[in-house]
Amino acid sequence: MDLDFSPEQLLFRDEVRTWLAENAPSEPRPHGAAPMREYDLAWQRTQWEGGWAGIAWPTEYGGRGLTTLQQLIWYEEYARKGMPSIDACFVGLNHAGPTLITRASEEQKAHHLPRILRGEVVWCQGFSEPEAGSDLASLATRGEIDGDDIVVTGQKVWTSFADLADHQELLVRTDRSDRKHHGITWVIADMHSPGIDVRPIETIDGGAEFCEVFYDEVRIPLANVVGEVDKGWAVAMSTLSFERGTAYTAGQVRLAALVENLIELARERTGPDGRRPAIADDEISRRLATCRAEVASLRAMTYAGICRNLASDAPGPEGSIIKLYYSDIAKQVARLAMDVLGPDGLEFVSRWVPGGWSGHYFYSYSASIGGGTSEIQRNIIGDRVLGLPR
Amino acid sequence: MDLLPSADQQELVAAAAEFFAEQVPISAVRERRADPAAIAPKVWAEGALLGLLGLAADVAVGGSGRPLDDEALLFRELGRALVPGPFLGSVIGARLAALSGAADLAGFVIEGHTLVAPALLRVDDDVATVADGVLTGRIRLLDPAGAEYALVVTDDGAGLVATAALTDLAPVESSDPGTRMGTARAEAVPVTCWVPATQDPIALRGAVLAAAQLVGIAEATRDLSTAHAKTRIQFGRPIGVNQAIKHRCADMAVSAEAALQQTLFAAVSLRSGRADAEFQVRAAKVVAGRAAITNAAETIQVHGGMGYTYEHDAHLYLKRAHVVDQLFGSRTAQLAPLLAQEAAQ
Ligand SMILES: Cc1cc2nc3c(=O)[nH]c(=O)nc-3n(C[C@H](O)[C@H](O)[C@H](O)COP(=O)(O)OP(=O)(O)OC[C@H]3O[C@@H](n4cnc5c(N)ncnc54)[C@H](O)[C@@H]3O)c2cc1C
Repeated sequence: MDLDFSPEQLLFRDEVRTWLAENAPSEPRPHGAAPMREYDLAWQRTQWEGGWAGIAWPTEYGGRGLTTLQQLIWYEEYARKGMPSIDACFVGLNHAGPTLITRASEEQKAHHLPRILRGEVVWCQGFSEPEAGSDLASLATRGEIDGDDIVVTGQKVWTSFADLADHQELLVRTDRSDRKHHGITWVIADMHSPGIDVRPIETIDGGAEFCEVFYDEVRIPLANVVGEVDKGWAVAMSTLSFERGTAYTAGQVRLAALVENLIELARERTGPDGRRPAIADDEISRRLATCRAEVASLRAMTYAGICRNLASDAPGPEGSIIKLYYSDIAKQVARLAMDVLGPDGLEFVSRWVPGGWSGHYFYSYSASIGGGTSEIQRNIIGDRVLGLPR
Repeated sequence: MDLLPSADQQELVAAAAEFFAEQVPISAVRERRADPAAIAPKVWAEGALLGLLGLAADVAVGGSGRPLDDEALLFRELGRALVPGPFLGSVIGARLAALSGAADLAGFVIEGHTLVAPALLRVDDDVATVADGVLTGRIRLLDPAGAEYALVVTDDGAGLVATAALTDLAPVESSDPGTRMGTARAEAVPVTCWVPATQDPIALRGAVLAAAQLVGIAEATRDLSTAHAKTRIQFGRPIGVNQAIKHRCADMAVSAEAALQQTLFAAVSLRSGRADAEFQVRAAKVVAGRAAITNAAETIQVHGGMGYTYEHDAHLYLKRAHVVDQLFGSRTAQLAPLLAQEAAQ
C-alpha cells in the first residue's frame, strides 16, 4: 500500500496541468439547451484533439488505453482548475460508453465509441418510466419485433438531456410473459427517429435538464440491440454499476473543492449573530469541519474503488456505497451552505455562475434520487454487499 | 391547563382555511410566478375584510382583540396552505403602529390598504444597523410590491421605515416562487413606530407567528408524503410498506407534532407573560424551523423524480420554509441566545 504516484504518473499529471492551463475554455458555459450542447461538445472535441478523451478507454476505439488511475489524475486536475462539468457528455462518457465497451458488438463499438470521444454526439439514458422508477424491471415500453426492426411504443420519463441527445440507451420490453427481468432489451435509439416526441420538464433548481419522451411506433433496427434480445437486464445492470461506481470520481473531486470554497465563504461572510464571521459560529464551524472529514473519506473510498477496479473489469455492488455516501455528503454540504449564507441564501443564484450556492442547494436534492435513490442503494448494500436476509 | 384549541378557535381556523383553499390555491403560486406581487391585491383585500390582518390587534384600532394563540393557529394555516404575501410583516407592522400611538396607520394596515414588507438587515457582506433612530446599510425586502413600509427588527427593538425613503431599490430573483425579493440601500433613513424590546417583546411575537407558519409547512409536507406513500406503487406494493419510507413519514409526524406543541406552548407563554417566555419562543423557532425544512426536504425524497420537478408542490414548501426560517431569527441564529437563557420554569 502506498499513496505516492509513480514517476510516470507524476509526469502524466504535469502534462495534464500544462495542457489544461493552455486549453481551458475561457468562455463560461452558456444557458439554453442548444448553446449548452454546442459548448459541451466543442470542449469535448478540444479534449479529444489534445489526446485527453477516453484516458482509460481501449486504444482501438480512440482511447488512450491507460488506467483509471490516470483518469483519476485527470479528474483531480480538471476539478482543481474549476473546469466546467461535462453534463451533456456525461451519459456517453460515463455509462453508455463503458457499457458498450464491455457488452456491445465490434461493429457497434467501432461506430459509436469514437464518436462519443470526439464530441460528435450526445447520449441520454431512457430507463425510468412513470410506473417504473425504483422498480425498473417493471418497465412497460413495448418493443415489437417486426422484420429487422424493433417497433417501440410507450413512454420514458426523467430522461436527462433527451432534448439535446442524438442517441439513447433505451430499455424496452420485448417479451411480456410475466418474468420481470427476462424480456427486457437494451437498444440504441436514434433520438431523431420519427415517432419520438421529447418534452422538457422544469426542475426545482430552475433547470430543464430532464424530459418526458414519448415513442409512437418508433422503428429501431435490430442491429442496434446491445447484448441479446430479451436479455437486456444484465446489460442494464452493468450500465447502472458504471453509473454508480466510477461516474462519481469527478463529482467527488468537485465536492472537495466545494467544501474548501464554503470554508472560505464562512470566513468572509457575517454569521448568524450578525457580528462575527460565520465560521465563528459553533454549529457552523463544527459542521464545516465534519464535511471536511467526510469528503476526505469519500476521496479515500474513491481511490480504493479505483484500485479495486484496476483488478477487475466492471464495478461491483460496492459502487452503491460510494454513491450513497456521495449523495449524503453532497446534500449536507449544500444545506450547510444555506446556513452559512443565512438571508443571502434566499436569493436564487444559478449553480452555473460563481456564488451559485442556492442553485446548487436545490440541485443537491437530485443526488439522492437520480441514478437510483438512496433507499435503493441501501437495499443493495444490505442485500448484496452484506447478504442480509430479504 | 389546556393546550388544546377550543371549539371557538377551531371554527375560526376552519373559516380561514376554507378561504385559502378557494382564493389562494397553491397552483396560484405557479400561475403568478411572473407577477410583481405574489398575492393578488384583490385576494389581499378580501383577506383583510375577513379579519386576517387584525385578529389579535386591539379592537380600538380595528382588530378583533383575540389572543396570540388564535393568531398562531391562523399562521399555521397560512403555512399549511402556502399562502403568499406579507402577512407576517403587516401583522407585526400594525402592532408596532398601534403600540406607538399611530392608530390610523395600524388601521390602514389591518384594513389591507397599507402593506408592510419584512426586511432582512444584510446583503452579502453589508450589514445594516439601526442607531439613533435611523437605519443605515443595505437590506433585503421580502414581498416589497406595493409595500409602503418595511419592517425592521433588531435585538433592541423593532420599527418601520418608509420604502419611499430607500434608494437603489432593485428586484432580485427569489429562490421561493411565492416570495418576491428586492434589495435596497438605506442612508440614514428615519425609523418610525420604534418599539424597544424592553417595552414589548415584538420580535418574540414575530418568532411565534413565524414558528406557527413553519409548523403548518411541516404538517402539510408530512401529509403530502404520507398520501404518496400510500398510493405510489413500486415492486407491486405501495412504497409506504418499506420501512425506509414508513419510518421517514413517522419521523415527519414526530417533528411536526413537537413543533406544533412547542409553538402553542410558546404562544401561551408569551401571551400570559410567563417568566420563561423567551426561552419557550426561541425553542419553538428552532424546533419548527428544523421540522419545516426537514419535512419538506424529505417530501422531495419520498416523491422521487416527481419531487424534483417544478410542477410538484414539495419544493415550494421547502423554499418557503427557508424564507420563514430567516424571519425573526433563523434556527441557527436562535441557538446561542437560547442557550444563554435560564432553565425553563
Ligand atoms: C435529476 C435526475 C435525473 C435523472 N435522469 C435520468 C435519466 O437520464 N434516465 C433515466 O432513466 N432516469 C433518470 N432519472 C430517474 C431516476 O432514476 C428515478 O427518479 C429513480 O430511480 C426513482 O424512481 P421514481 O422517481 O419513480 O421514484 P419511486 O421509485 O416512485 O420512489 C419514491 C420513493 O420510494 C422509495 N422506494 C421505492 N421503492 C423502495 C423500496 N423497495 N425500499 C425503500 N424505498 C423505496 C424511493 O427511494 C423514493 O424515496 C433521473 C432522476 C433525477 C432526479
